Amino acid sequence: MAFNYDKYLRLEKMPTLWCWGCGDGVILKATIRAIDKLGWKQDDVCVVSGIGCSGRFSSYVDFNTVHTTHGRTVAYATGIKLANPDKHVICVAGDGDALAIGGNHTIHGCRRNIDINLIVINNFIYGLTNSQTSPTTPQGMWTVSQKAGNIDPTFNACDLAIASGASWVGRETMLDPKKLERLIIKGFEHRGFSFIEVLSNCHINLGRKNKMASAMENLEWIDSITAPLSKYEKMSDEEKLNILPTGVLKCDTEAREYCDMYQDIKDVHQGKRAKITQADFTKKI
Amino acid sequence: MATREIISTGNELSAIAAVDAGCEFFGGYPLTPSSEVMHVISDLLPKAGGAAIQMEDEIAGICCVIGASMSGKRALTATSGPGVSLKAENLGLAQMAETPLVLVNVMRGGPSTGLPTRVSQGDVLQAKNPSHGDYKSITLCAGSLSECYTEVVRAFNLADRFMQPVIVLTDETLGHMHGKAVIPTLEEVKAGIVPRKRFDGKPEDYFPYECEADEPATLNPMFEGYRYHFTGLHHDKNGFPTEEIETCRKLIQRLEDKVEMHKDEIELNEEFMMDDADIMIIAYGSVSLAAKEAIRDLRKEGIKAGLFRPITLWPSPDKKIKEYTDKIKNVLCVELNIAQYTAEVERVSGRIGEIQGLYKVNGRAISPSEIVAKVKEVF
Amino acid sequence: MSLMKAPENTPVWVDTSRCKACDVCVSVCPAGVLSMKQEPTSTLGAMISVEHPEACIGCNDCELVCPDFAIYVADKKADGYKFAKLTDEAKARAAAIIENNYRLPENYGK
Repeated sequence: MAFNYDKYLRLEKMPTLWCWGCGDGVILKATIRAIDKLGWKQDDVCVVSGIGCSGRFSSYVDFNTVHTTHGRTVAYATGIKLANPDKHVICVAGDGDALAIGGNHTIHGCRRNIDINLIVINNFIYGLTNSQTSPTTPQGMWTVSQKAGNIDPTFNACDLAIASGASWVGRETMLDPKKLERLIIKGFEHRGFSFIEVLSNCHINLGRKNKMASAMENLEWIDSITAPLSKYEKMSDEEKLNILPTGVLKCDTEAREYCDMYQDIKDVHQGKRAKITQADFTKKI
Repeated sequence: MATREIISTGNELSAIAAVDAGCEFFGGYPLTPSSEVMHVISDLLPKAGGAAIQMEDEIAGICCVIGASMSGKRALTATSGPGVSLKAENLGLAQMAETPLVLVNVMRGGPSTGLPTRVSQGDVLQAKNPSHGDYKSITLCAGSLSECYTEVVRAFNLADRFMQPVIVLTDETLGHMHGKAVIPTLEEVKAGIVPRKRFDGKPEDYFPYECEADEPATLNPMFEGYRYHFTGLHHDKNGFPTEEIETCRKLIQRLEDKVEMHKDEIELNEEFMMDDADIMIIAYGSVSLAAKEAIRDLRKEGIKAGLFRPITLWPSPDKKIKEYTDKIKNVLCVELNIAQYTAEVERVSGRIGEIQGLYKVNGRAISPSEIVAKVKEVF
Repeated sequence: MSLMKAPENTPVWVDTSRCKACDVCVSVCPAGVLSMKQEPTSTLGAMISVEHPEACIGCNDCELVCPDFAIYVADKKADGYKFAKLTDEAKARAAAIIENNYRLPENYGK
């Protein structure tokens, strides 16, 4: 028998509204397999998603699900997690949702190191609303909001997450779904903020006017701009400019998780320990 | 009702009230003059086993509160005018997804940055419709230090009863006023807590958003075996997005009707010396304290003035107001804004252009003598 | 709802009610087992078809890349199916299918 996805799906919502060949479905399956391997109970899992094609993720899975306003996924998830620290909270957001309008919340979720798993599905465009420029759309590509060619520079989402203090950062593509599943498992297992960037294909909204009209052509392009971290590190600076490293990019198991630290605050107010001071932290600034 | 006395400020009383009423989560951001609510509750909540967090901005402040409330906890946020403006979109989601929460708005001079450390009542119209779309706001207004406590307690019960945000308006005067409040005992408050409705049957028989046309949804807490979907999109009985014509119409109409059809449960007014009054003053919030003093002064001179004070501002006590405006010719609205509630009084009374007004928007309080002078001037 | 149970003696089977004809499974199959076929009633005018099940090596790549839960592969242990080994003939057929717009050359145009 094939892997039983049905257990985790809201079957009456099938088929998904995603376009033919959309990477979102592959990522959804990899996430479900990861949760199954980890043995998480469905009742203990909350999936919070934003607005966009990736935002529809939460309506297809049979967990406690929340579909939030644009960009606010991490903020909603912070409330759910802090109020229920022993539950599993997964955020799914697109590149526009997590990095444009939601940039601030992403940064501070990383900074707090709260035990939330943020999957950023980066398809380099605003897909659902039809091809507007996103913070990761390469310069020179055609977008509907910059039909003369995109001039907006891009930034590197994983670099942002690392700089903001996320204790676990990883990037994969959906070209190898088994590899993706393994990365997701590592991210989910980690206690702290896990930032998982997944590069995905949007051949309908990004690809069609940028010479990648089929799923396979779009996937080939993603393949050409990524390389495993070990290979990346051996590249010249010139080569590195146009390559995104994949794999686990950061893993800090020493950083204290936010809800654990908040327990200290509860203990202070309940008279179980002395006040927290700078002496409790190695980082003094 | 058994009572106790506390000497404190309005902001601190709001925080204490929330914890007493079973609030388990606070999320917010510093904003003068509401910050003290956050300062106080960030000590009280962890002591009581709850969690309080200062988020990175006002929007995150309301979002984490909505998230915590969706998971089943009573949750509070506190802010002022500019914060409500920022929170508006997500207040709309809480209305749509039917998530209870209490928002304390300690009003200050506006619009925009306005007068951060001075009083106004300029957010009354905003409280009626902070967000886009059709829904019915529930807005309470504390008119004394004691009400900074009791109205927050009432707000939590109303929020859970009607499954939506409830705004409690206080203002800078009450927020920072330090004095004696006579409030119910903790036992009284605990005995009066009416928690959210729950569905106790089998999960496969549970349809969270299937209910009577004038009732709120029954939303079970997360993580207890009842898995469903929250969304800001129009949704069906499971909470899943839909565009089906009748489902969408029924949903929005129900958001209106669940409040409109049960206004009597939300309405609360104070009628001060109204029995034989032939001048009616309408005032709310801290202004009502000055109004009562003014009425006492006027009465000494034989002028029969009375105060009608709506404690629930929205939905407005339209029938009660009309009852009075039909029989009392002289009506004066006193507010720290330009005619925001006067507009509602005119609308429900039908007496357009006949309602007198005393308005102040310079960040200072209205004194009893100003009210006395105005009454003598116009009537 | 879905076709979880393996039909008798079948390595790979599809749920045509879910397939959106994206071509991805056909392009990753190393053994030329799958092909698109003309289907006038579907949105893109095409549908997945299992043309050479006897060549299936059980790599599971098609199932992994299908975004729509439309293709299933038998489990070696649970279903006891004996998968084939990858032959040069199968590889050549796979290349020809991809070359021919994901359609088995002998079927194209039917």
